[in-house]
Amino acid sequence: MADDMKTANHPQADEGLIGFQDGAIEGRPAGVPSSYATGGSPRWTPEVIADIHAKSQLGRYQMRGFNAFNRHLPSFDELVIEPATMTRLPLEGYREQCETKVVLGDGLGKVEQPIELDIPIYVAAMSFGALSANAKAALARGARKAGTMTCTGEGGMLEEERAENRTLVYQLTPSRYMLDLDHIRQADGIEIAVGQGAKPGTGGLLLGMKVSERVARMRNLPMGVDQRATCRHPDFLGADDMAVKIEELREATNYRVPIFVKMGATRPYYDVAVAAKTGADVVVVDGLEGGTGASPAFLLDNTGVPTMAAIPAARRALDDTGMSGKVKLVIAGGIRSGIDVAKAMALGADAVMIGTGMLMALGCNSPRYLADYKALGTEPGACHHCHTGRCPVGITTQDPELVKRLHVDAAAERVYRYLTAMTMEATMLAKACGKSSLANLEPEDLRALTLEASAFTGVPLIGADRPFTW
Amino acid sequence: MNAPTATKRRTDTAAKTIVAGDRPIREINQEIREAVMQGYTINVSEPLSRHNFAVGLTGDGSVHFAGSVGYYCGGLSNGGHIEVDGNSGWGTGEGMAAGHVTINGNAGTSVGASMRGGTIHVRGNAGPRCGIAQKGGNIVVEGNVGYYTGFMAHAGRIICLGDAIDSVGDSLWEGTVWVAGNIEKLGVDAVVQKPAEKDVAEIEALLASLGVKAQKRDWKQIVAGKKLWYYEARDAKQWLMI
Ligand SMILES: Cc1cc2nc3c(=O)[nH]c(=O)nc-3n(C[C@H](O)[C@H](O)[C@H](O)COP(=O)(O)O)c2cc1C
Ligand code: SF4
Repeated sequence: MADDMKTANHPQADEGLIGFQDGAIEGRPAGVPSSYATGGSPRWTPEVIADIHAKSQLGRYQMRGFNAFNRHLPSFDELVIEPATMTRLPLEGYREQCETKVVLGDGLGKVEQPIELDIPIYVAAMSFGALSANAKAALARGARKAGTMTCTGEGGMLEEERAENRTLVYQLTPSRYMLDLDHIRQADGIEIAVGQGAKPGTGGLLLGMKVSERVARMRNLPMGVDQRATCRHPDFLGADDMAVKIEELREATNYRVPIFVKMGATRPYYDVAVAAKTGADVVVVDGLEGGTGASPAFLLDNTGVPTMAAIPAARRALDDTGMSGKVKLVIAGGIRSGIDVAKAMALGADAVMIGTGMLMALGCNSPRYLADYKALGTEPGACHHCHTGRCPVGITTQDPELVKRLHVDAAAERVYRYLTAMTMEATMLAKACGKSSLANLEPEDLRALTLEASAFTGVPLIGADRPFTW
Repeated sequence: MNAPTATKRRTDTAAKTIVAGDRPIREINQEIREAVMQGYTINVSEPLSRHNFAVGLTGDGSVHFAGSVGYYCGGLSNGGHIEVDGNSGWGTGEGMAAGHVTINGNAGTSVGASMRGGTIHVRGNAGPRCGIAQKGGNIVVEGNVGYYTGFMAHAGRIICLGDAIDSVGDSLWEGTVWVAGNIEKLGVDAVVQKPAEKDVAEIEALLASLGVKAQKRDWKQIVAGKKLWYYEARDAKQWLMI
């Protein structure tokens, strides 16, 4: 056919005209502009390319703090609260009261001093080591002022944190730093950590830059080593053993304080059911979005179950085992605001725990000391360099000069105000739903905006007005 | 650390004897704790291998179990002298800060896990992970020790007069494992070194104080090779690159 056309005696246009060579882009001899000039491969993104470049130079994976990047996760933003209208009656936002208290450890009747918190929000376990002593002290003071508590995290009990706190939970991690009779008897609760949402199935990690003299002393470590903790506990393996361990802890503390079990969300329904049966008073479930001070980066993005999906599964586990009410459910991982708090509680949490958001209240990513952010290769609003120990604002560092930048009084006040503001947001939403207590928020107060959010939570999809299920 | 309330062992009063049987552990432990804190000796008959005996002791008294005990015997104690005329289960003396435990039979896995001080003396064999995550104190095993003995021990000494099997001294920090018998296989980053005479003398003195017969022993001291100490490149400059 082509030949026929030629022989039909139509003149062939000049190649230069066909190829847009008049005014052609320099460097493209054919003169054809590429439709791929800006890349856009969904597989080989600039981040993937940079990751390969980094790994090929370093010979190992990258490490970082913060939490999951690089992934679209259905978030709490895809749920909306549906306040009362005709079928339900709202409460007056500014006049009528909404109860915010929560008690942890009262359900099984085993604990002499359950923990009473004025608000159902507390500061997550973040170790001294990952955080500076100033940061720990400020978090404790701010939490105390707001009527809530903090948790030691992995690195042992810091004197400043104990002194500033009304209520302090001591974390029993596989490394058991500083854990002895004396210290557990100073605690108001004990948390057995079997994992965390950022990196479930792996242990704690603190790079040598942060293992200062004091950190090393508290952890019985040589100064400056890369501390990698085990993922399994040294003296129990399965749930049966853990039940015995919990009894041991009750014996050692004279049945005074509640026992928590913290886990990363991986198989939340089964894991929570098993944890509840071990005899713990509180189960803490930390979702995929949970923060960390340091982790192999690829674990943050690729392991675990998102918080939003973990909550209903965990609640179902407690319901199905008859433990709802007896065992309290605390949820963490990506909680940013009172709105997230209300949504998490409506999905089934009794209380929530916040790590990353608290660091921001302290001043993480605040626009000061710009040159120091730059030296880290980042800028305020994008920093995630907690693992380097060079935190420009003195929070996740042990460098005495940097630590001084965190003013404890001021930072404590910001933590207090952040907690207060979140409580106001959550109670306003609850009152709009007609709830006189945050604990009364329920799944019926929620609707999902997206199919994913509906499928993750079992909350009805707006429009269809029924849950998206199979 | 809390000073024990009574620091002298009392010999002025005849030892008290209680029966454990199937009574609540909490009740039995209260009696044990009280007696040990006051410096008395208390004998416990029919322990029936139950878990969590003598947890959280303080003081300088003694407790003697006429039979085997279960998990975590003496766990999280900060004093006291415990003697078990039988075997013990998992985690014997785990998290101890001070005190003395003697097991006249064999001990299960994780003897002295994460202990911070005091002495544990096993006359028979000890199971796997003996002295795992130890932070101080001494563990003496007259028989053999199981796999992963000393795993990630931070400080303190584990002394084995018999043989050590698989993966002894794996991933050590500054803890040391001493083996007089054969070592089947060293753990990752474990290195055998010839011990200093002064350290051997200390070990022999400790054994003598425990009534272990003196004899010539071929000590192998296992310490960290330190290759895992800086597992991630710790040069901050490298981290800034990424
Ligand atoms: C700097 C930092 C240090 C942390 N240290 C610990 C720790 O020592 N033990 C632990 O169980 N979790 C630790 N976590 C996880 C928190 O306890 C919590 O599960 C998590 O931060 C919740 O997610 P969020 O950061 O999105 O609020 C840490 C988190 C951060 C941000
Ligand atoms: S500002 Fe500090 S705490 Fe915040 S991400 Fe950067 S290094 Fe971490």
